[in-house]
Amino acid sequence: MKKKVLATLLSVAMVSTVLAGCGGSSDSASADSSAETTEADDAAAAEDAGDAAAEEGTEEGTDEAAAEEEIPTSTFGDPNGTHLEMWTFVELHGQHYGNMVEMWNEQNPDRTIEITCTTYPYADMHTKLLTSLTAGTGAPDICDVEIGQFPNVVAGESTWLVPMNEYAAPYLDTMVQARMDVYAGADGNYYGIPYHVGATVMYYNAAAMAEAMGISQEDVIAKIDAVVTWDDYAALGQEYLDAVATDGKYWTSVDTAGCDWQWIAMAEYGEDWTGGFGGTANVQLDSVKKMLTMEQEWVNSGLAEVSPDGHVDLEAGFQNILDHNIVSFPKAMWYMSRFTNYMPEESGNWYIAKCPVFEAGQKCSVGIGGTGTVVTQQSANQELAAEFLAWAKMSEEGEQLIWDNLGFDVCNTVLWNDDAFAHDDSNQYNQFFINYPYDVLYSIKDDIGTVYTTAISPTINEQMCNVTLNDILENGMDVDEALQAAQDVVDLEQ
Amino acid sequence: MSKFKKFFYSQKAAPYVFVLPFILSFLFFWIYPLCSTITMSFQDITPTGTEWVGLKNFSKLLKDTVFHTAILNSFEYMILTLVLLIPFPMLFAVLMDSRLVKAKGFWKACLYVPALTSVVISGTLFRLMFSEYSTGQMNVITAALGLGTFKWLKMKATGLTALLVVCCWRWTGVNMLYFISGLKAIDTSLYESAEIDGASAWQKFRYVTIPLLKPTTIYVLTISVYAGLSMFMESYMLWAGPDSPNNIGLTIVGYLYKRGITKNQLGYGSAVGIVLLVIALAINIVQLILNGTFKKEED
Amino acid sequence: MAGTSSVNEKAEGGMKAKRTVLTVLATGWFAILSAIIVFPLLAGLIASFRPGTELIRKGLSIDLDFSTMTLANYKYLFGGNADSQKYMMWYKNSLILTAVSVVLTLFICYIVAYGLTMYNYKLKNFLFFIVIATMMVPFEILILPLYKEMISLNLIDTMAGVVLPGVCGASTIFFFRQYMTGLPKELLDAGRIDGATEYGICFKIMMPITKPAFAAMSILCAMGAWNNVLWPMLVFRSAEKFTLPIGLNTLLTPYGNNYDVLIAGSMFGIIPVFIVFLCFQRYFIDGMTAGAVKG
Repeated sequence: MKKKVLATLLSVAMVSTVLAGCGGSSDSASADSSAETTEADDAAAAEDAGDAAAEEGTEEGTDEAAAEEEIPTSTFGDPNGTHLEMWTFVELHGQHYGNMVEMWNEQNPDRTIEITCTTYPYADMHTKLLTSLTAGTGAPDICDVEIGQFPNVVAGESTWLVPMNEYAAPYLDTMVQARMDVYAGADGNYYGIPYHVGATVMYYNAAAMAEAMGISQEDVIAKIDAVVTWDDYAALGQEYLDAVATDGKYWTSVDTAGCDWQWIAMAEYGEDWTGGFGGTANVQLDSVKKMLTMEQEWVNSGLAEVSPDGHVDLEAGFQNILDHNIVSFPKAMWYMSRFTNYMPEESGNWYIAKCPVFEAGQKCSVGIGGTGTVVTQQSANQELAAEFLAWAKMSEEGEQLIWDNLGFDVCNTVLWNDDAFAHDDSNQYNQFFINYPYDVLYSIKDDIGTVYTTAISPTINEQMCNVTLNDILENGMDVDEALQAAQDVVDLEQ
Repeated sequence: MSKFKKFFYSQKAAPYVFVLPFILSFLFFWIYPLCSTITMSFQDITPTGTEWVGLKNFSKLLKDTVFHTAILNSFEYMILTLVLLIPFPMLFAVLMDSRLVKAKGFWKACLYVPALTSVVISGTLFRLMFSEYSTGQMNVITAALGLGTFKWLKMKATGLTALLVVCCWRWTGVNMLYFISGLKAIDTSLYESAEIDGASAWQKFRYVTIPLLKPTTIYVLTISVYAGLSMFMESYMLWAGPDSPNNIGLTIVGYLYKRGITKNQLGYGSAVGIVLLVIALAINIVQLILNGTFKKEED
Repeated sequence: MAGTSSVNEKAEGGMKAKRTVLTVLATGWFAILSAIIVFPLLAGLIASFRPGTELIRKGLSIDLDFSTMTLANYKYLFGGNADSQKYMMWYKNSLILTAVSVVLTLFICYIVAYGLTMYNYKLKNFLFFIVIATMMVPFEILILPLYKEMISLNLIDTMAGVVLPGVCGASTIFFFRQYMTGLPKELLDAGRIDGATEYGICFKIMMPITKPAFAAMSILCAMGAWNNVLWPMLVFRSAEKFTLPIGLNTLLTPYGNNYDVLIAGSMFGIIPVFIVFLCFQRYFIDGMTAGAVKG
């Protein structure tokens, strides 16, 4: 029996060596040799390589060094500096801090930092963070928190997180205030630092519209620019559908697994179903009812379809857009990167415009989605971590890298009409879209509303996306009835 | 010393030495965490403090319609998996064990690969296959059969079908393997003597195979009951998270995960867990007693 | 059930013909079943030869359009770049973790099951009841207390921390016990008469005839260890200890999925376990079981 176990072990080991060999054979000799060493040696070797690369980066003083140097670990900065741990669920975010830490070390030679960024799977990272915070040990210094999860984390307020007010103060006057507010705790302190505004805009497939309607792209854009209200929007849609006259083509798709449309409506009327901090949640708002009734009418009249998979940010949603089954939809600015990543062949076809409103003069956008980065109370170097974090995400240097590498609409409004920043033609997003995204953003600067994310938000969101929106848009349930049912569930939780 | 050695080697001490690892592991990794969980189910735990709330969590569960949906879903799923995943794998195992099948190793391997596949990938694959979009494989098939396309993951019946397909896909091979392993332990002379007595194939199956497979069947039944009730990963995979339209894919553990882990409501989540524990334990004990597993074997 | 049909009174020629038909039918049935089961993976395999954007464009299509198929994903995966080095590291970690936990789990579960089956003593049924009970505890509710415990025992970020809590797998013990219930107990007495100690009987006499159970369980444990995500995720802190499923999972984010590496990496991730499975089942199930049980 033991022999068999041994044989098994051997075969496992053999497979692993063969595989390691495969990986190494196409690589340099050093990788080959490391494949044969033990795990511990390997890890040490990897660390060495990382350190060496990081040192090189410091010496040469280039940002690219760290990013281009191909190393399996993600430790950046000065190995003799203060060590910080950072968790994220998006690898690119980690690299952002890597780039920023090199710059920081140049500017602050007396307070250098070494940062290790670990990318965890999305759900697991949040689980792990909550578990560590609850257990009182094991949390990192700095951590990304997705906005949907933020209420769970910020519930710990200053027992778990470091208030960022003091550190964010130097940058606050140019930041979009609303984005700081969404990452505030119930005690009014700021706990998270935002990456982006997530301003909602309307994406139009101007090329497909021009082709279907038999007019030039300029004319289409003129028509789009003339849209002010949702009625105008629906009318333009009808015009398009009459021209295209094909089954399976729609003007837009409405979501059953996302509340973006409802958020837009709330922002337009200045309402908020969470009731804000300390308020009472109420989903039976006029704005929400109006939007849902309108959406339901559209679905019934064939102007809109229900988004395949529930919203446009999933595989079937991309397919739907690529097949030109829908030619317009509202989504946050960060959706731009979905175009460049998954729909590159659509380059040059799409036009970005502000969202329609119910009544002229209303706000026309709302910040959706986002990731707030926090500093935990478990950090041994809270001050340094907080100061670095605020600088890395809110300073002009930081914002420049966020736009170039991550493709976000940054929160520093001064940059929005900064020609060098907003009209840089080497930027992939500027190249992809017909117009400059930041021009749209600048034009709606004062029209971006806020819907708060509070402790009740996950409950509302869950009920809406799982039940209410499906009942209304898929099953044709009466709007008032469905919202009453949703309110009953929400009331159970507050 | 020699006294101790004698005791150590005695027939009285030996069983305790054998089960010692379990007792240790039980105390360290089960009793302590389980007690914490039971304690927590009577508490309201917030980041800022812990409060004893008595039976509040449980009385809330009674009113929580979402939780009732979850229980119902889990039960439906469990019963259907029992129907699908015990008789069929058993038949396949008997067939596979006969001399009639060629290239057995290859088929066994094929049937077993799904279980080896990482949940991450099989989830993504099935989510794409059950896509409501016209390029989804299932819709391609149903369209070719003239049935039109379905919004698979949005409707209760089709959603449950999808879950069962994933479940059968993953576990048919595994259960078949259990049964094959059980068949190997059956003395072939029993079949030979049955043949001499002129038993038909069905009689051999009915009077030799089924009774002698009983220990294996009980095992499969027990783990299937629990696996069915505590199913979570399959639904998590198909809907790319714990949420599904109208909660058609929500299960008890899914609800526990949502409450206890995603929302960090440890007290309420623990209460959900305790309910699951009680239900599963009750079903299995009844089933084991009925099958006579606790009778002392004196053969 | 047609498979084992009685052949008593048939003429030899007819019997042969009938056997051939049945063989074709039975083998054909498994061929169809296997084809259905392998289909999703095949679709995945084909997708792994396409650029990620093609997957978005056409879904999981299985038409073999060679013009869009490339080795680019695999070249990238093994190209020695940062992603590929990370992938190899996850791979290696998974293999080591799987091997260690399988060997430990099988050994411990075997002896526990042995202690629960081969002797009659007071606590036996009580202990067995506890084994069943532990099987009914959803792991998710134990996570937080267990995690705290791992920290206080200094087992966090270690392999022991990942492996130990699962080493006494109740379902594995249960399976061994069920299997051993069917074994002849006369062997124990025979062993004692021959002068073997209790432990000698356990390891030298009973263990060899438990091979079929070991075979089934080794594959199952390997599978569990290979695909386990939640617990290793909590225990492992450093990125260089991540296992394959955790690593692959990091490619799926709300900010966009890295399909190129994900699909190719997952497809390649099936191969070693599959090879191990092939070795195991030939060794254990087909080769030895029949003889061992008879003897």
